[in-house]
Amino acid sequence: MKKVLSLLLTAVMLLAAVPALAEITLDYPTFQVGVNTAAPVIAQLVEEFNAQHAGQIAIKVEEIPGDANYIEKIKVLLASNDLPPVIYGAGYNLLDLALAKELLVDLTEYVDTDPEWKALYNDKAFEVNSRDGKVYGSSSEGNTIGYFYNKELFEKAGLAGPAKTWEEFFAQLDTLKAAGITPVSMDTADSAWVTSLWMGAMIATSGEEGKAFMAQMMPDNYNTPEVIAALTNIQKMFMEYTTLDAVGGKYENAANAFLSGQTAMIANGPWMIGDFSDTTKAPEGFSDKVGVAIYPEGFAYDEPIQGYLVTKQDDPAVVEAAVEMVKFFTGAHAQTVALEKQGMLPASTAVEITQAAKDNFPLLAEFVEALEGARIRTATTQATMYPNLLDIMSAELPNLANGSMTPEQFAQALTDGAAKNK
Amino acid sequence: MTQKALTKGNNRPLRDSRSWYARLPAYVYMLLCVLVALFPLVWVILSSLKTNAQILSSAVSLPTDINFDGYRMALQVSPILRYFFNSVIITLLSTFVNVFLVSMAAYVFSRTRFRGKGLLFSILALSMVVPVTALMQPVYQVITSLGLSDSLPGLILVYVALNMPLTLLIMRATFAGLPASLEEAAYIDGAGFMYTYLRVMLPVAKGGLASAAVMAFLNSWNEFTFALVLTKSPAVRTLPLSLSYFTSQFSFNYTALFAAITMAVIPSILVFALFQEQVSQSLVIGAVKG
Repeated sequence: MKKVLSLLLTAVMLLAAVPALAEITLDYPTFQVGVNTAAPVIAQLVEEFNAQHAGQIAIKVEEIPGDANYIEKIKVLLASNDLPPVIYGAGYNLLDLALAKELLVDLTEYVDTDPEWKALYNDKAFEVNSRDGKVYGSSSEGNTIGYFYNKELFEKAGLAGPAKTWEEFFAQLDTLKAAGITPVSMDTADSAWVTSLWMGAMIATSGEEGKAFMAQMMPDNYNTPEVIAALTNIQKMFMEYTTLDAVGGKYENAANAFLSGQTAMIANGPWMIGDFSDTTKAPEGFSDKVGVAIYPEGFAYDEPIQGYLVTKQDDPAVVEAAVEMVKFFTGAHAQTVALEKQGMLPASTAVEITQAAKDNFPLLAEFVEALEGARIRTATTQATMYPNLLDIMSAELPNLANGSMTPEQFAQALTDGAAKNK
Repeated sequence: MTQKALTKGNNRPLRDSRSWYARLPAYVYMLLCVLVALFPLVWVILSSLKTNAQILSSAVSLPTDINFDGYRMALQVSPILRYFFNSVIITLLSTFVNVFLVSMAAYVFSRTRFRGKGLLFSILALSMVVPVTALMQPVYQVITSLGLSDSLPGLILVYVALNMPLTLLIMRATFAGLPASLEEAAYIDGAGFMYTYLRVMLPVAKGGLASAAVMAFLNSWNEFTFALVLTKSPAVRTLPLSLSYFTSQFSFNYTALFAAITMAVIPSILVFALFQEQVSQSLVIGAVKG
């Protein structure tokens, strides 16, 4: 009888121990699926992580195709206090939204106690992922952005290469136009990504105050001489130097204008390099015609994108597993995978630009070389502005473009929009 | 007035009395309507045969060569077939449950008198005008607390509820248009309430049932937002979500997108073509009866 009882007791104890040994599943919603350029990177990282942590942690990917759909769903989950263990902040500033509801795990101690992880953070990475001295996120993407130009069209217009100053840049626009070439791709819809890159570059290089404006997180006042001057130039570019479909056009229209050889320049990041050799988007041999440059006055966007965030969960084991996942997804290996597969420059300067990456994306090597001449580096305007201003950009830029709104009025519209966040 | 009456005193039928050029404006007008209706569909199908560059450079041009790479890519990039079958199951079940349950309520609203009937009906009907964004979080909370998140029953329940007001309006108007003598005859013959409803009234209301079912089917088939928020796994995701796989912030594949749209809209078009009379009726039924 005693033997039977002891056997039963042992069985009960073993059964009780099972939950502790059970594999932890991390639900991970991501928009980096489908045609997203990071989709192969995420697929590889998930596979590797699951293999390394077999039996302990398993990432279960929830595919949310479309960036806007991802944000919409995360906002519903945020409002319901039901966030998954790991979310990716991307360029949508989810950090502040989640922090406002006190749903984020403070990663400071985890980072401080792991020298290898800490070494991957540079000052900018700390800045973009920290609030009030506490680290809440970890970046993997560098968000280093210049612009691409069509060497063949430049040659046809008699231009030697990219402009060093804004004065030279606008002279080049005139030269290209005189040669019958549409100088530059622009857009207004979907937050006007391409246009806002030109605008931010002009603000950042307008002097110390412009540089200080670009360094601000969530600027409240757009009624500054630097912003208005940049908007004046943007208005001129819309009126004289771009395609007809730029007003009301999306990123796709701007990209297609460049990829089809219609325009001579487009502002965008290295993730576009793959498109130049994609024959469903560009003509055969187009990639050989493309050059890459930093902006006039030695400017480049160069600040890590807000990274992966760990959210508070009832089970501490899930939080630990989520930290492990974030560490893996932002580690040196993950950043190298993104570099070699996607052409995404790493968030950490400690990560080497490998030969494989240079072989896969020759233009990337050219861009890295050009970056050495960048004296001024900031984040993009879209990464720092209040999220509601992205909609105002899309709604009001057509008015600026067609002249029914002055640069001053546009700046006021942005300022008014920013004030709604207080 | 019958055709016979119209042709009285004239040996030729009425249609022959008008020369072809008299009827020409009517045909031209109808042709224009057909072109306007068909243009988007034809445009999507033709675009699915073009490259991305052709689509973006010249939206209305014809494809330079016919190839079906877009369809191959669409099937590769997104789990469109799996989502298609999920959509079929969810849409058919939610439509059946919606029409079956709500028609009962509609019958009661049209045939019985009870305190608060007008108020209750108004509340149910008014729920049709509540915006989806306002419903999003409460619905998420309810479905999650019921343990139905990321499940077929969860999505079916939501679609049944979302289509309730329209079905109620259509079916109440349908029952209101049926003669009371049908029920009276059934009751005199000894039929009970349920028997009268199921065996007498429901069969004669099949026009309204078909109208309501078609509207519920189309709404559920095309619904996107709740499918996005309430589901996680491919086993329960529906077709509209598959169309988002082809565009992201810095990447696009319009050829595959239009191929996927072509595959996605065919069932809707078939349903509409088969039941177009009921769909047309459903759009006007509430306007003349009630």
